[in-house]
Amino acid sequence: MSSHHIIPLKYLFGTAGALLVLTGLTVAVAFIHIPTPFNIIVAIGIAVAKAFCVAAFFMGLYWDKKINTIALLLSVVFFTLMVGVTLLDTMFREKPSDIYYKMPAPPPTTQM
Amino acid sequence: MSHTDASHSNSHVQHHFVDSDQQFDSAKLGMWLFLVTEILFFGGLFVAYIVYRAWNPELFTMAATQLDTMMGGINTLVLIGSSLTMALAIRAAQTDNPSASIKYLVSTVVLAFVFMVIKYFEYTHKFEIGILPGEAYTFTGIDHPKAHIFFSIYYMMTGLHGIHVIIGIGIITWLIIKTKKGAFNSSYYTPVEITGLYWHLVDIIWIFLFPLLYLID
Repeated sequence: MSSHHIIPLKYLFGTAGALLVLTGLTVAVAFIHIPTPFNIIVAIGIAVAKAFCVAAFFMGLYWDKKINTIALLLSVVFFTLMVGVTLLDTMFREKPSDIYYKMPAPPPTTQM
Repeated sequence: MSHTDASHSNSHVQHHFVDSDQQFDSAKLGMWLFLVTEILFFGGLFVAYIVYRAWNPELFTMAATQLDTMMGGINTLVLIGSSLTMALAIRAAQTDNPSASIKYLVSTVVLAFVFMVIKYFEYTHKFEIGILPGEAYTFTGIDHPKAHIFFSIYYMMTGLHGIHVIIGIGIITWLIIKTKKGAFNSSYYTPVEITGLYWHLVDIIWIFLFPLLYLID
């Protein structure tokens, strides 16, 4: 009967409170202007913490059957794969393609 | 299991399930698998965001100044509030309190409408100054040749999210009607529970959209 868990009120209000605090934090951090790679890391880190709060307590995964958590984590794994494989292409092009502008004709290649 | 002890509280169990618990767990797992496809659906747009931001990092910080952090922040709080009222509606359904459940479901719909109204003001302000997606973009306030790309991504991501909010309003309205008819009680509240899962996922998507779009200037 673990799947029929009634979430205690203190968890529901505690989660909402944590989400409000983390929202305030992520806005405050944006106004401090942390140097560029780190501001993105902090913003994503806070967003992941908020998403964890929602998934664990509002969506009840903390008390739920583990198969549902596995499904969620699999989507994260496959999303990471989709990002990673795409960046392996787009980050290693000699000239980034630009679909909005006509590309100049490629120079004639001389064969050895 | 025998057919003789089939009581009123088990009348919702379909013949292909062993019992109410198995039916509930199956419905919930099915919803989670749907949410996986939703995450990968939005994931494609997040990939577009990541690729174009990696190519044009300065464009994103310049263009994001056109987004209203205050309105985005208020909408974040509105969605957090609606997630709380949705969770409370499930709790009320679980504890045989349909009138409280209706109250919380109505609150959730009202907050969803507040979100869409704020979104409407954001969109119409941008339309007026020529910030439109793709080739319709005529705004000249951002000194970057690819400024329209940021807003195409902005409209696709927030637009798809907005469609999900509207669909959520429809489903939760249906839940209100069903609850009024007395369809849910402590032994059967599956539709309320899995609609809650959907609604919380819509909240999670916005939790990522807000810092990635509004807070990068």
